[in-house]
Amino acid sequence: MMVPEGILCSKSHEYLLENADGSYTVGLTDYAVEQLGDIVFIELPEIGTNFSKGEVFATVESVKAASEIYMPVSGKITEVNEKLVETPEILNESPFEDGWLIKVEAQDAQADSGDLLEYEDYKEEIE
Amino acid sequence: MGKHTVYYEKHLELGAKIVEFGGWDMPVQYTGIIAEHKSVRNSAGLFDVSHMGQVFVSGSDSLGFLQKIVPQDISKLPLNKAVYCQLPKENGGLIDDLIIYRLEDSKYLIIVNASNIEKDYKWFIKNKDKFNVNIENKSDEYAMLALQGPNAYKILKDLSIEEAKQPDFFTIEEISINSIPLYLSRTGYTGEDGFELIVKNEYALKLWDIIFAAGEKYDLKPIGLGARDSLRLEAALMLYGNDLNEDTTPVEAGLKWSIPADKEEDYNGKAVITGQIKYGTDKKLIGFEMTERAIPRHEYEIYYKGAKAGIVTSGGYAPTLDKNIGMGYVSTEYGIGSDSEIQIMVRNKLYNAKVVKRPFVHKNYKKSNQT
Repeated sequence: MMVPEGILCSKSHEYLLENADGSYTVGLTDYAVEQLGDIVFIELPEIGTNFSKGEVFATVESVKAASEIYMPVSGKITEVNEKLVETPEILNESPFEDGWLIKVEAQDAQADSGDLLEYEDYKEEIE
Repeated sequence: MGKHTVYYEKHLELGAKIVEFGGWDMPVQYTGIIAEHKSVRNSAGLFDVSHMGQVFVSGSDSLGFLQKIVPQDISKLPLNKAVYCQLPKENGGLIDDLIIYRLEDSKYLIIVNASNIEKDYKWFIKNKDKFNVNIENKSDEYAMLALQGPNAYKILKDLSIEEAKQPDFFTIEEISINSIPLYLSRTGYTGEDGFELIVKNEYALKLWDIIFAAGEKYDLKPIGLGARDSLRLEAALMLYGNDLNEDTTPVEAGLKWSIPADKEEDYNGKAVITGQIKYGTDKKLIGFEMTERAIPRHEYEIYYKGAKAGIVTSGGYAPTLDKNIGMGYVSTEYGIGSDSEIQIMVRNKLYNAKVVKRPFVHKNYKKSNQT
């Protein structure tokens, strides 16, 4: 699996990726989706909602269980990945590309990302 | 760390994801729950169910003892036949649910749930009383496999067990496969035709390999507990700890069909159970499917016309139906029945669901070899 360059990961398995336009993409790491198994339902937030770092903004359900997904940074939701509603399995297949969750206009990404890890360090942390 | 079955290393070799279940470290999935679920519905799958318990009951009062502990009429159980039973307390609440096999005139095998082995054994001893009976918990000596799916019987056929020699539904035979002695019964927990094989630990690994070698042409797959749960839910089979517990009677659980009205002997809980059969219950089990997009889960609340009416005991995504389904208990005062519109509270929001008949899928049991 291709891991995008420059992603930052939280210990609760969300990733944060800065886009060219200054917005941020948030998704779940390959490790997280592998642990969840077959994903069958995803509940996404409404566009325009503000969330604080650490707040639950989405729920991902596998066959086995429901898991809450936390904001890695504070900010306003600008886009959600509508494709996941009809075809949640995209998240299993492509967590870093087609399976992204939301795009967010971050309040202060610099300050909020202090406790996030680079992918290599994240991998080390979870193993 | 939980207990390990004889197949633990095998599961790791096959890349299984391991979870703790009822005190055991068991494979929850090998490749994926949905794919495994479909393998069983479409062809065949093999489950390690060695965590389940085997208790042998023998001695001249075996029948009397069993008559006292279950509502079912064991005096009507022919040789080599099996019956689905419950283990009620005096108040009708259930210690466990089980399968009783009659192996010989006065020898029975009881299969009990993994998490209840110790509790059941203590209950048996407590109820032993004046009965002349030997109760032997041999759970640690036996492994158990479930070979399930429409092609299960073909795999046994290829292992030289002709169809005519294969046991009928809810029947058990002592047979050998490649010189391995075992109990073969036509039972399962998937709603499909299939078998359970109870074998001494020392032969268990060899038996697994033999079955997989024969199963290759049917694309036999190892199946984890995840698919075991989704398969049994579609078939609306009870899971002890979720759908049944010490506060639930078999009548409330919709198991009245399994309880004979004319059993003469007294048994634990008889007054409560026969009373409920006659006068009804305060709560009852229902099955439902979601009509809005949401997944019902264990312990979510059930609403009816704005009032909290009950609680979900099992729920999830049903791969065969591509729907979200569940079972739960509701108060009988609301008159909730088939096609009633109910709501399930999911993360503080109500989602519509509809009461449907159980099982959710048609059960493909083979009732007889002759037909």
